[in-house]
Amino acid sequence: MTTATDSGRQAGFSLDPPAHAGADFVPDEGFFSRVRPGFGPHAISVRIGPLRVRLEGLAREQWESLMTRFRPFLDGGAAMPAPDLTVRLTRAGVPAFLALPATGTEVYRMGRRTRPGARDCWSYEFAGTVSSTRREAELALVESSGPLFERGLENFLRPLTASFILERGGLLVHGAGVVREGRAYIFFGPSGSGKTTVTQLSPREVILSDDLTLIVAAAGGFRAAGIPFGLAHHHFPDTNESFPIAALVRLIQSPEVRRERLMGARALAEVASCLPFVNQEGGEAAMALEAADRLLRKVPVWRLFFRKDDSFWKVIQES
Amino acid sequence: MDLNTVLSKSPDAASRTYDGQATIVLPSRAEVKVLNELGSRVWDAIDGRRTLAQILATLLEEYDVPREQAERDVLDFVGELRTQGMVS
Repeated sequence: MTTATDSGRQAGFSLDPPAHAGADFVPDEGFFSRVRPGFGPHAISVRIGPLRVRLEGLAREQWESLMTRFRPFLDGGAAMPAPDLTVRLTRAGVPAFLALPATGTEVYRMGRRTRPGARDCWSYEFAGTVSSTRREAELALVESSGPLFERGLENFLRPLTASFILERGGLLVHGAGVVREGRAYIFFGPSGSGKTTVTQLSPREVILSDDLTLIVAAAGGFRAAGIPFGLAHHHFPDTNESFPIAALVRLIQSPEVRRERLMGARALAEVASCLPFVNQEGGEAAMALEAADRLLRKVPVWRLFFRKDDSFWKVIQES
Repeated sequence: MDLNTVLSKSPDAASRTYDGQATIVLPSRAEVKVLNELGSRVWDAIDGRRTLAQILATLLEEYDVPREQAERDVLDFVGELRTQGMVS
């Protein structure tokens, strides 16, 4: 068994040329054809909405950490079906892919490429590839622990989750999911619109997420679920259960508290503008519009003007 | 560009017409746009085969608009679409 706590760089791997400070190292097709060592022999399985994902190649410390971190989402038992996707974690052997800015605010960047048989993506701390069958993936990480390991894993799995749920007729929405009286309300909007504020103003409700909520196409309608990705500043889901969606709510901070119904193309545009990852290429963007269209024929969309108290709930729940 | 021009939608642009209004996602610009009813009719009619004259003729059958004004509006509108990379 390999127990790894060092990064690939510290362990002296030199499979690929190192990234120079300030310069991007874009992994070419050859990068993914090389065999890279994993971190260890351990694996976990998690369930994200309807998706079953197995993470393998983990060192014991990584396994223990992820078993704790993903606890509500762990998938297990003797009758567990085959995973939809198996991701093998490996040591990248380079200190970074995209170069982090030396100073100033970090603007998140991610490269993508589609090639015969696979789709690749990479960012600062990871490079990943998914087979065209969408069953197998490799995630090469520059660190084996700490923030860069956690960020790399999450930043790879999030767009992957968005693509997988889209293939199943669902969506990953940049929105907070809050369950009140058994029904989910998805409060969406760009950063700073008040998603985290709404969850903080709802201390008695079940919080699915304060940032990204999964919308699952299910028999009889759409359901909301959390995802097991909560980087340090975001709320980790209270539960892995899914709930019927009562409404989609576009947040607007305001001194007054009221709501307006959004209809037709305007509603579609508001929702479409809050779909991360899938709007970055035409094919997935078209699928996302179709999925959003089907969603809006079942679920109302409101524009909510709200202030920082819980009075918005009374307005939201008006019939 | 004139009325003999034939335009195609950008393969990068994803669109959906909902109750007569088109919502368009432009991945390369990270933008989502909503067209009004007339703009949506033009957008839906752009198919890589029809000339702008043919599209204009269809609009004149459907809407009570003076021809000169409609021609000017269509040319201005598709010019804007082209500037934004939505058609070519």
